[in-house]
Amino acid sequence: MYRPRQLNSMNKQSKFLAGKVGRHRPGAVEGSGSFSRYSSALLLFLVFCVVIIVGIVVILDVRSTGVEAQKMYAGSVLGLHRIGDLQYSAQETRRSTFYALSTNDSNLQVKYADQSREADHLVIEGVSEYLREAKSPVEMEVGKRLQNDWSAYLKVRDEVLASILEGSTKEAVDLDLKDGVTLFDRVREDLEAIERLYDEQASQRLANVAASSRRAMIRLVGVLGIALVFAIASVWAIQRSRMQSAIQLARLQMEFVASVSHELRTPLTVISSAADNIADGLVEGKEEIKNYGSAIRSQSHQMTELVNEILLFAATKDRKNAYILRPLKVSDLVDSTLVRTSELVKSAGFTVDVQVDAELPNVVGDMSALSQCLQNLLINAVKYSGRSRWIGIRAFVSDSEVHKGKKVCIAVQDRGIGIDSSELPHIFEPFYRSAAVTAEQIHGTGLGLSLSKTIAEAMGGDLSVVSELEVGSVFTLHLQITEEHKLPVASAASGPGATVEK
Amino acid sequence: MRRLALLLLILVEAGCVSGAWPRGSVEHDGLPPQKPPSAGENLAIIVNRDNPVDNLSTAELRRIFLGARGHWTSGRRITIVMMEPGQPERTAILRQICQMSESEFSNHFLHGLFTGEVLVSPKTLASPVGVREFVFNVPGAIGYLRVSNVDSSVKIVRIDEHLPNEKGYPFHVPAPAAK
Repeated sequence: MYRPRQLNSMNKQSKFLAGKVGRHRPGAVEGSGSFSRYSSALLLFLVFCVVIIVGIVVILDVRSTGVEAQKMYAGSVLGLHRIGDLQYSAQETRRSTFYALSTNDSNLQVKYADQSREADHLVIEGVSEYLREAKSPVEMEVGKRLQNDWSAYLKVRDEVLASILEGSTKEAVDLDLKDGVTLFDRVREDLEAIERLYDEQASQRLANVAASSRRAMIRLVGVLGIALVFAIASVWAIQRSRMQSAIQLARLQMEFVASVSHELRTPLTVISSAADNIADGLVEGKEEIKNYGSAIRSQSHQMTELVNEILLFAATKDRKNAYILRPLKVSDLVDSTLVRTSELVKSAGFTVDVQVDAELPNVVGDMSALSQCLQNLLINAVKYSGRSRWIGIRAFVSDSEVHKGKKVCIAVQDRGIGIDSSELPHIFEPFYRSAAVTAEQIHGTGLGLSLSKTIAEAMGGDLSVVSELEVGSVFTLHLQITEEHKLPVASAASGPGATVEK
Repeated sequence: MRRLALLLLILVEAGCVSGAWPRGSVEHDGLPPQKPPSAGENLAIIVNRDNPVDNLSTAELRRIFLGARGHWTSGRRITIVMMEPGQPERTAILRQICQMSESEFSNHFLHGLFTGEVLVSPKTLASPVGVREFVFNVPGAIGYLRVSNVDSSVKIVRIDEHLPNEKGYPFHVPAPAAK
């Protein structure tokens, strides 16, 4: 349970306490952690994409090689079938003619003549098909030559058949020996040439398949190598990011410890000196003892507040804190904060310009927590105003899609040193302190804004910033508007309310 | 020699008996089965498609079928194609062209071959399809077929300027006598 009374008193030293917070816990550097998560996811996505691409490339290559192999097989087998059929039919044409020569029976001779003609038709069809499918000029040339030679042979064959059927066997044999043998040899040579062409094509296709297979292998190795490089790069980047986060966290912790030590040392020195003086009998008189007591009490309060702040941050981050959400009047909230910081503002010589719009709707929140939040913003404005001694506070209703509809905004503006645009994404990270601020020796632990943003978000609101270097900054607290019919307006001090664990 | 001639004559006669017309119904690939000569039909005289002869007189035809003419005007040797003895077509041709009986026809060729008066002896085919194939394959062949057995692979010759489907065409196979 959040206990506002423990933080009620703000004294002069509290300007150093705002946002000076407590203990670190693992994973507290949320900004770099989320960045790491995003880069890891991106890298893993890239690896995934590369693996998918590798898969696709491999599949395409395997398919291409398969198609090439099928083409080779189909081409070779078809070619072998075709050339085999042609050779067989050509032989059958000649063989049937010889069969006719071997008998005197005219009926059988006619039958063999018929068989010879059937076979020669098959050859003619085969050659025509070959010519239709011939692609290269060499194929065309060989095909045409075969066609011509076959026609020439058929003329002789017809004469031989006629002589056989006429009964002039000797004449038939003479004719065949004279012309038939020569012409059929030419046909045979043509068929052998076609067979050689098929062989060459098959060899070419085999070479293509081998080359395709080699290419696929090289590509596969290449893409696997790329995938491996990507994977290694991803792992390296993730590890590096984590290491950097850890280093940054350690650095911030060291800075935080140094800062807190410094903040504790000052009141401790005062208390110790006062105690020494009293113990040594250097303090005389009631008045002087009273002054010393007052100083010791003041420094003790300062230390208590510092410790309380640290505990508050720790509790907030550990989600052990609970807020009592009630409808709040914005004017009450602003007034409460101004009262708590009045001494600081007054002593620093600041002018606070307050503009609260009339008839602002009530907001939902925990009075103490929101007051603490606003107080942090005011203290920051005092710390980083530089020579300017002006702070503006404005409360109004805003309707923006960025903050999901109507919200009550409380803006705290200063005309101070401003924040560099490169620093803006980090200022809400716990422990973060810009190099410029550290260089100017402005004390702080880097937890104030983180704590404020956490509180604002716990109330269903948000904390945003607009800043320009050497011009100033505007921190705006966006708060949820009360649904009046659900939540009756209650006084800031007491009453039941919704509780949100944070 | 006479004995040899007589022996040949006997063999031819025997072939006549064994070659009765059912053998003529041998089927051939791509062609319908030959229908029996149930009705009278004209006989076409066919030659090879390359043969330039288009018309023959009955007398010329007789000379050719009796082997008295050995060559065509183109110089090609004439090859006579006959169906086997006993076939109605053969009988009709013997009667209408040669004006001979089977035995007279056989004797004529035996005698002619011995004496050298006959230059070519006829080739005997068992079926109309065989006749047609033979004529298709041999440029100098001449034969005969029923008109229904003729196709485009051979050429029909006009006889005395008549085609088989024209009036006055002289050769036909008579319808068989009713039993």
